[in-house]
Amino acid sequence: MDNIAGTKSSLTWAVHISVVILVALWLFPTLGLLVSSFRTSDQIATSGWWNATFPSTQNLTLRTEPPKSQIEREGEFIIEGNLFGSAGSSQIQVYGIASNALGAYQVGETAPLRNGGTITVLANGDYQMKNSEAFKGKRGQRVFVTAETPPKFTLENYRNVLFDPANSEGMAKAFFNTLTVTIPATIIPILVAAFAAYALAWMEFPGRALLIAMIVGLLVVPLQLALIPLLKFHNFVGIGKGYFGVWLAHTGFGLPLAIYLLRNYMVGLPRDIIENAKVDGASDFQIFVKIILPLSFPALASFAIFQFLWTWNDLLVALVFLIDATGETTVMTKQIVELLGTRGGNWEILATSAFVSISVPLLVFFAMQKYLVRGLLAGSVK
Amino acid sequence: MKTLISAAALALALSVNPVKAQAPLPFAPGTGDFNWQSYEALKTTQLNGEQVTVFGPWLGPDQKVVESVLAYFAKATGADVKYVGSDSFEQQILIDAEAGSAPNVSVFPQPGLAADMAKRGFLSPLSTETADWVRTNYAAGQSWVDLGTYANQNGKKELYGFFFKVDVKSLVWYVPENFEDAGYEVPESMEDLKTLTDQIVADGGTPWCIGLGSGGATGWPATDWVEDMMLRTQPAAVYDDWVANRIPFDDPRVVAAIEEFGAFARNNAYVAGGAGTVASTDFRDSPKGLFSSPPQCYMHKQASFIPAFFPEGTSVGEDADFFYFPAYSGKKLGSPVLGAGTVFAITKESKGARALMEFLKSPIAHEVWMAQQGFLTPHKGVNTKLYATDTLRAMGDILLKATTFRFDGSDLMPGGVGAGSFWTGMVDYAGGKPAKQVAQEIQNSWDALK
Repeated sequence: MDNIAGTKSSLTWAVHISVVILVALWLFPTLGLLVSSFRTSDQIATSGWWNATFPSTQNLTLRTEPPKSQIEREGEFIIEGNLFGSAGSSQIQVYGIASNALGAYQVGETAPLRNGGTITVLANGDYQMKNSEAFKGKRGQRVFVTAETPPKFTLENYRNVLFDPANSEGMAKAFFNTLTVTIPATIIPILVAAFAAYALAWMEFPGRALLIAMIVGLLVVPLQLALIPLLKFHNFVGIGKGYFGVWLAHTGFGLPLAIYLLRNYMVGLPRDIIENAKVDGASDFQIFVKIILPLSFPALASFAIFQFLWTWNDLLVALVFLIDATGETTVMTKQIVELLGTRGGNWEILATSAFVSISVPLLVFFAMQKYLVRGLLAGSVK
Repeated sequence: MKTLISAAALALALSVNPVKAQAPLPFAPGTGDFNWQSYEALKTTQLNGEQVTVFGPWLGPDQKVVESVLAYFAKATGADVKYVGSDSFEQQILIDAEAGSAPNVSVFPQPGLAADMAKRGFLSPLSTETADWVRTNYAAGQSWVDLGTYANQNGKKELYGFFFKVDVKSLVWYVPENFEDAGYEVPESMEDLKTLTDQIVADGGTPWCIGLGSGGATGWPATDWVEDMMLRTQPAAVYDDWVANRIPFDDPRVVAAIEEFGAFARNNAYVAGGAGTVASTDFRDSPKGLFSSPPQCYMHKQASFIPAFFPEGTSVGEDADFFYFPAYSGKKLGSPVLGAGTVFAITKESKGARALMEFLKSPIAHEVWMAQQGFLTPHKGVNTKLYATDTLRAMGDILLKATTFRFDGSDLMPGGVGAGSFWTGMVDYAGGKPAKQVAQEIQNSWDALK
C-alpha cells in the first residue's frame, strides 16, 4: 500500500504544478494586456510592459523653445525654460546636443552650440541658451538627455475608446447591436437543443443512435465551410443580411455542441424518476417541463455561458451574416477592429478595447460561474 | 405584458438605430481655391435619397476623410451614401459577391483582386467615355487605363477599374537634424546612397531600418525593394515582362535585383538590430528607430503612408523628411518611380453607382481629399496648391518628375504569387536562403497557378 500512497502524493504535486503553470500561462498575457492598456503607444513601442512599474533610465529627445521666444538682456540673447515643460520628477544625468554624441556633457556644464551660442542644462530640466547674436531658425534646439523617469500611466486610451465623441456614438450603438445579436443567439439554440436533447436521451424511436452519431459528427465540421452557401440561401429566401440571419446562423453553428452537451447530461439523470412519472401518467412534455428542465439547469447555464461568450466575441459570423453595406448594424468586435486603423498596429487601442469588450462576458461569467464546472462535468461522472 | 414587450422592442429599436448624421463638409462650398464649378455641376444629377453603398479598405482616420469626400457627393445629389471599411476587405468582398450581397461600389487596394473579380463576372464595365476621360485627364493616362482594364468571364477586355488615390513607394525617410548632426548630405544617385551607407557604418552608426513583418502579409515591404531595384537596374520593358511572367522569376536579371536588395538587408552592419531581425521586425515599428535616442538608424525606405506610424507629435517636413530613392547615375535609366493606388469599381449596378463614378472624375472629389491628408492624384485638372502640406506637394512632384512610372508589381501578379510566394520567398531570402533558389521556388509556384 506504500506505493499507492506515494503515487498519490506525487500525483498531487504534479496536479498542483500543472495548475500553477496553466494559470500562469493564462494570467500572464492578460496581465500584460491590462498593463499595456494604461500605456501610450510610444511607451509600448519602446519598452516591455514588465518594465512599466519601475522608474526607468531613458534616453529622451527634447526640444527647447523656438528662437522666437528669445529675449534680449544686457546685449545677450537668451532663451530660457524647462525641457519637460515644467520641472517634474524626472532627473537628468547627462545630456548632449547632437544625435551622434549623446551624454557628452554633465548637467550644469555649458555646451557650445553648432550655430553659435551656448546652452546650459540643469538636472531638473531647466536650461538657458545664450548668444551674442539673435538665434535664428524656426525650431528650438534638440537636447538629448539621459534621465531617470518615474513610471507613468495614462487613462487616455480608455477615454479614446469610450468617450471620444468621434467614436463613442458608434461604440454605444455597437454595444446595443451586440446585445441584440447575442441574447436571441443564446436563447434560441438552448430552446431547440433542450427539446432535441430530451428526445435523443429519453424517447425511443428508430434511428436514434444514428441521429446522435450524426450530430456528434457535425461538431467537427468547420463553420467556414458553410459561410457562402448559407449566405446565398439567406439571400435566396429573402432574409438577406440582418439580425434574423445572424440569429439563425449562430443557432445553427451552436446546435451540435448544445445538443451533445445537454443530451449527455440528461442521459445521466436517474431513470427511476422518469419511469415513475410515466407510470403516474405524465406525458413526455410534462416530464420534460416538470422534471428534466429543472434538473438540467446547470447544463443549460453552462452552455448559455459558452454560447454567450462565443457570440459576444464573434466577428466572422457577424461580418458575413449581419453587417451589410450600409454599416448600420455594426457590432463591438467590428467597431474595435475599425479603431485599429487601416494598417493596424495601434496596440494601445487593441489592449484597451480588449478590456472594454471583456467586461460584459466577465460579468456573465462571475454571475453564472458556479454552474460552469457542474455543467462541464455533465455526463462525465455517473 | 404585450405592451411591455413592444415598448421594450421600440426602445431597443430607437437606441439601436439613431439617425446617422451625414458627415460634415470640411470646406464650405464656395470658399477657398477649390473647383466649385465641378461641385455645382454635380447637382444636375438628382438621386433623391437613393442609397449608394461603398465598401473599402480604409478605417479609422482614413475612413473619416473618405466619408467627408463622399459627403460632397451626397450633398450635391441628395443621395444617401454609406461607406463601410474593413481590414479584411480582400476576403469579405469575395464572400459578399459570391453570395450576391455586394455593395454598389467597391474600392480595391490591389488591381490584381479587381481583375480576379472581373474575370468571375462580379464587376460592371465602365463606359468608353470614362476610358477616354482617364486617357486625357490623368498624367500617363494610357497606363492608368491599362491598369484598370481586365478580361471578363468571356475573355472580353473592358475598363472596370477607376484609379483614385495614388501612393508613391520610392521614398526614403530620414531625420534631417540627424543628417545635420553627422554632416551627411541627401544622396542624389544610387552610387551616392551606397557611399553614404558605408560612410555611416564607418562613423559607427547604422544606416537602415528594415522591417518586413506584417502579420499574414509578412514580406511585402521587401517586394517593394525588389521592384524598385528592378526599375533601377533594368529598363521598364524588362520590368513589365517580369510582372507578366514573360521572363521567368529566376531570370538572372531578377535574381540580380533581389541581390541588390540583399546588399542592404543582408548586411549585418547596414541594418539596425542585424540582418537576422529584418524578417521579424514589424514594418509599423521599424520607422521608430529613426527617432530613438541614440538613433538606431538614419534611413528607412517606405511608401508615402508611413508617417502614420511615426511617434506621436512628429512633424513631417521638420522632424522627419524624405528623399527620392535615387537611381544609378551610371545606368542611364532616368528616374523611375514605383507606386500603388486604389481602384474603384462597380460591384452592383445602380444609377447612384454610376453617378458616384462620375463624381470621382470631378476635380472637387480630388481636391477635397488632397486638402486633408495622405492623398496624391495623377489628375491634371486639380489645383495642386490645395495639397495640405509641402510634403504631399513634394511627393506629387516626384510623381510628375518621374520619367518612368510603374505600378507595384506584386499587386499585378496573380494573388498566389504577388500576395503569397513572393512575400514568403522574400522572408526566406532575408533569412539567408540564396536568391537563385528563392526565385526558382517563386517561379515554380507561378507555374503551378497556370
